[in-house]
Amino acid sequence: MSEQATETKKTTTTTTTGKAKYQPSDFLKAVLGRPVIVKLNSGVSYRGILACLDGYMNIAMEQTEEYDDGQLKAKYGDCFIRGNNVHYISTIKRR
Amino acid sequence: MAGRLLPLELVDRCIGSRIWVIMKGDKEVVGTLRGFDEYVNMVLDDVTEYTVTAAGREKNQLDQILLNGNNVCIMVPGGDPEASSSSSSSSS
Amino acid sequence: MSSECREPLDLIRLSIDERVLVKCKGDRELRGKLHAFDQHLNMVLGDVEETVTIQDVDEETQEEIIRASKRNIEMLFVRGDIIILVSPPLRTT
Repeated sequence: MSEQATETKKTTTTTTTGKAKYQPSDFLKAVLGRPVIVKLNSGVSYRGILACLDGYMNIAMEQTEEYDDGQLKAKYGDCFIRGNNVHYISTIKRR
Repeated sequence: MAGRLLPLELVDRCIGSRIWVIMKGDKEVVGTLRGFDEYVNMVLDDVTEYTVTAAGREKNQLDQILLNGNNVCIMVPGGDPEASSSSSSSSS
Repeated sequence: MSSECREPLDLIRLSIDERVLVKCKGDRELRGKLHAFDQHLNMVLGDVEETVTIQDVDEETQEEIIRASKRNIEMLFVRGDIIILVSPPLRTT
């Protein structure tokens, strides 16, 4: 993965059907500064505030909690996650 | 080329409908496709995440996710792993 | 942090000459002073404590045994691609 995601490119993937698209870049703009869950390929997940991210899906998070198998394992004030480990970034449902 | 559907055009046609994504490894994801980029990173809504373990399929429900395209293996439009697993067991 | 962090690597940049925690693949954790890093996240750490966690199952009781072995290394190079997470020390300011 190289340059991607955070850059808004209008040239890519033109809609053949004309349906409204919500691209990854739109999602990222919407979740910046909000609480998210970042799940890694290993199955470990991180819950915290998404501070920023780049085209490699490298992520900087604040007030991060590390969960493994649903159990809280550690807390980090700030943390950097290397993008190649990321499985998904999820919004957190408000209760 | 006319009339032939390019792979990414098929994905594009899935926008707004359910899609089943099989990842490299033991993970599968089903959700409504909202959009994707040139790396096939995908925004999915109303997601069910499956992790295949020795004990069976583990399920997890999520609102909206950005799925990393890096480990995507297979995508099935309109697919549902629960429907297909039951049909395969009945046919064998 | 948000104000000073425009891209994720800024977080690492701000941690130069500070002690950081580096979580690596293979249940390996490194705690040391960050001397240098590059865009791949290759790092040079000094005064490092390496912790390797090993999970074992006791053959008689079938209980899980978690063992942590530690060692100290004066200076080392970490290849960026084995890094999962980097956490800078808690800043109070």
